[in-house]
Order: sequence, then structure tokens, then C-alpha cells
Amino acid sequence: MTDATDTGLGGLPPVEPFRPTLRERMSGWAFYIPIVFMVLFFALPMALTVVFSVFERTMFWMEPGFSLLAYENFFFSARLENFLASMGYSLISVAVSFCLGFPIAVFVRKSVPQAAQHRVVLLFILPFMVSEIIRIFALRPVLQRNGLVNETLLNLGLIDEPITALLYTHTGVIIGEVLSFMPFIVFSGFLAMEAVPKYIFEVCDDLGAGPVRRFVDVILPLAAPGIFAGAVFIFVNGLGVALIPNIMGGPGAVNAGLIATQAITALDFPLAMAVSAIMMATLMGLLYVGHKLFDLTKILAPMN
Amino acid sequence: MDDYANIWLHRAKWAYLLLIVATLMSPVFYVMYISFNENGFGAAQYVFTTRWYGLIFSDGQLMDALRWTLGLAVTTTVLTIPMGLLAAKFYKATRAKVAVVFLLLAPLFVAPDILSAALLVFFKNVNLSFQGLGDLAGVSFMDAWFRLGFTTTVIGLIIYTIPYAFVVILITMGRYNKEQTEAARACGATGWRAFWDIEFPQIRAGVFSASAFTMILCFNEYTRTSLLKGGFDTFTTVLVSQMLNEGMSEQSYAMSSFVSFVAIALIGGIIVFTLLRSEAAARRAQPVAEPNTVPA
Repeated sequence: MTDATDTGLGGLPPVEPFRPTLRERMSGWAFYIPIVFMVLFFALPMALTVVFSVFERTMFWMEPGFSLLAYENFFFSARLENFLASMGYSLISVAVSFCLGFPIAVFVRKSVPQAAQHRVVLLFILPFMVSEIIRIFALRPVLQRNGLVNETLLNLGLIDEPITALLYTHTGVIIGEVLSFMPFIVFSGFLAMEAVPKYIFEVCDDLGAGPVRRFVDVILPLAAPGIFAGAVFIFVNGLGVALIPNIMGGPGAVNAGLIATQAITALDFPLAMAVSAIMMATLMGLLYVGHKLFDLTKILAPMN
Repeated sequence: MDDYANIWLHRAKWAYLLLIVATLMSPVFYVMYISFNENGFGAAQYVFTTRWYGLIFSDGQLMDALRWTLGLAVTTTVLTIPMGLLAAKFYKATRAKVAVVFLLLAPLFVAPDILSAALLVFFKNVNLSFQGLGDLAGVSFMDAWFRLGFTTTVIGLIIYTIPYAFVVILITMGRYNKEQTEAARACGATGWRAFWDIEFPQIRAGVFSASAFTMILCFNEYTRTSLLKGGFDTFTTVLVSQMLNEGMSEQSYAMSSFVSFVAIALIGGIIVFTLLRSEAAARRAQPVAEPNTVPA
């Protein structure tokens, strides 16, 4: 096929390979597929939660309208107390996970040979590969009155009576959250420690900074964006995963995820959407504050 | 202070690391141990049996659920991986990196119950809109669009798994040298051929592990599946409803262990396979990088 509009330089025929074929021009659009998909099925539904949350509730569904009843149901009831309490417990889980998990990230970066570092971190993916529901359910026979922990402690003679506070209590929820989400602080801590070159440790030694000052004044500020991302991840999941309070918690252990799923079971869709919208607002607020404080784009540095 | 000045401190740190991994894994192993006990949990006597596993495989409902689970996992993987690849390529080329990465990683930060509640209401509304449109136009073929079922579950699972696939693929792509694609294009290869013959062989390991990762995540997923699935049951939804209704029965221990065995076998297989493969790939790298003599 000859192109009439395209006359070559000095009468020469135009150079073929440099013109993209129709197929290539079409396939350029293919790269937008994931973006379009995510906008359509992720960003849009999340944004629409705000709209649906003010719809009027009907018997089995909802209809367009404007009503703040769902928010009233949330803010002027025990739900708000539960939500705030679960925020507190979630914060405790973040703190415990950080204390247990972050030193591992530091240790791996500092003391494990470069080539083996990724393999050591991969160890923490192993538990993550077993279904979350199974890991949480499996904690029941472990923490129960006659479970593994109590039996072991009794046999060792360390306690006289089984500890009953481990399950169906807030402690149980925290244990469940820490055991479920701790690997994430190891991963994000590991990524965050990329910002802390190994020589920093030697410099600190040479200048005579002790481990505490080294940690507070040097490591923490450098690794802050990654630590923050990991902490937000655990915090938000502690608030949003309904399964953990459902299975590990006792009465009163209710988080946002559980409120939302219970609302759906009760066919109160506007309430479920209001909870989702509140969670989105919480997340956005946290990310905004984090970005102002630490510039979260730094986390992406290893990916570029 | 170097690590070997106090070798015992160094060893204690290693011991701590392994202890944490063991603690994270111990409930799973404990469940596996119980699942082989004829007398179930808490019994005074331990008698080895595989009877509970036999019960799973003779249960028609469960086998049906297993087929649905596999169907979901395979479909989601087949769709997520190319999308993850496209997204990673797009990320490399675009200037709006922060927006792209935000869009693709944000699902990680939205808790499963919240995301699936939002999707559930969204799909129901979309479905109702299509039904209304169909009624206006007098056609009925749109009535089933976005009705809760296989498609909506797959969409939910893609949103769940795409961040992981994207990150894994992006990290492997980081090791690829872009000049090779330019060289291939200069030699007259089409974009697709340059990708398939030059780039893909080098990022294959990452694509492969992303696929396995996606499969496992789908296989294990409960919350998103249970809210978006509509009529059918998957392995985890059967398991959870059993556990919530009847408490932990011997059979549910066996089911939990079975799912864990599958996941551990898969991931173990992948680790061995990728290690072997990366060695083989290193040996193959030279001939692959040579110019291809495919007629234009």
C-alpha cells in the first residue's frame, strides 16, 4: 500500500520500519487497561461510598436521596465507642508489631550478607502464604483454656491455673493482629532500611554514638517513611479486618470492618457505606499527614 | 562494633529471628498435628489417622467448592498477571509515577471488609442500572451484567492481587537493561517481538513467582470472595461457615491443614524451581540476547 501524502526525502520511498503499524498504535492503548480497570472498579466504588452513604434506606436496599441517618447511627451509638476503642487496640498492635518486627529488619540489613538478605526476608512470607482465616482460627486451639500455650505452661509448672485472658478478650484480638500483620512491618522495615546505608553503623561507632542514640537520631529519621507505611498498613487492617475480632475477641471487640459486615448482614447498606467512607477518610487523613511529615514518595526510590 | 566481636549476641539475634518465624508458623503446624489425630483436639490419646482427610475428599459439596476455588484462582491469575505486566510497563514509561503507583498500591491499604462492602454495593447498583436500561430498551441480555457471581468475584480478587503482582514484576524489571529493547527495535523488531524475545525471558522468574503468589492469595482468600460470590461456595467459605456453625470439628482441622499443605507445597516448589531456573537462565542468557533472525 502506498501512502500518497507521505513523499519521501529526495524522491526516495519512505522508510517503512519507523512508522508504527496500526496494530502497534492500537496496542499502545493496551497499557491503559490496568489504569482504567483500577479507576473503574476500585477508585470509583470507593468514591461512591460517600454518595451511597447518604442514600435513604429501604426495606431490603436503598434509594437515591439525602439522609444523614447512617452517620447518625454511627456517631450517636455504641458503634463510635467501639470504633474508637478498636483504634486504640489497633495502635497497641502497631506498637507491639514494631517492637517485635523492626529490629529484625535492622538486623537483616546490618548483619546478614547482601546476597542472602532477600532470602531471610522471604522466610516471613511463609506464614503469609497460609490462609489468614486458617492462621487466625488455628490460634483458638493454641490459646484456648486447654490449648497449647496453657498446657505447656502448666506442664512446665510456670502457672497453676490456665490463663483465660488469651482468647475471647481484647488481648486475644491484639495477639491475633500482631501474629497476622507483623510480617508487614518486617517487609516495610526492610525496604525502609534501604535508606540507611551500612556505613552509617560504622560512622556511628566511630563518633561514639551508642545504640540508643544511633537508633533514635539516625535510623528512625532515615527509615521513617517506610516505617510509617508499614504502621499505617497494620493500623488500617486492625481497624478493618472483621475476622479477627469476630474469632478472637469477646463481647465489645468490634472494629470498623465488623460494623460494616454486620450492617450488610442486616441489609443496612447506607450504614455499611458510611463506615467505608469513614475508613477511607481515616486512611486518606493518615496518608496526608504522613506525606507532609515524611514525604512518602521516598519509599518508591528502590522501585525506580 | 562488628557482629563477630560478640558472637553470642549475634547468635541470639539469629535465634530471635527464627523464633519469630516459628511462632508465626506454630499454630498452622499445631493444626496439622491435630488433623492426623483420630480423637481430635484435646484428646488424651494420640492415634494417627488419615480418616479426616478421606472425609473431605468424599464430600461432594466440598469437592464442588474446591473446583470453584480453583476456577477462580486460575481465572484471576490469567487476568491479573498480564495486567500487572502492562501496569509495570506503563509505570516505567509514564511521568505521572506517583498517581499510577498510588492507584495500584492503594488496595493494600483498604481493609478487605471495607473494600468488599464498597464493591458489593457498587456492583448491585450497576446491575440494577443495567436492568433499568434493559427495561427501557426492551432487551434482557444486560440483566445479568455485574450480578454477584463469578465475574464480580474475579474483579474483587484482581483488585486484591494486582498490587502484589505489580510490585513483584516491577522489581524484576528493575534488573532489565532497557537498551536491549532499543537495540531490538533498531534492528526492526516490533514492540511485541522485542518484548517477547528479549525482555520477557529475563523477567520470566518474576512473572512466574507473581503468578504463583496470585494463585495462592486467591486460593486463601475468604472475605472478598464470600461477599462478592453470589451463589456458589469456595473452599474457604465452606470452611468458615462450618467453623462458625459447628465449631472446630475434626474435619475442619483436616480442611485447614489441607489448604496449608497446598500453599506450603506450592511456595516450596516455587522456591526450588526458581533457584534452579535462575541458574539455568544465567546459562541461557547469552544466546537469548543474540539478534533474532526472524524474517521480517
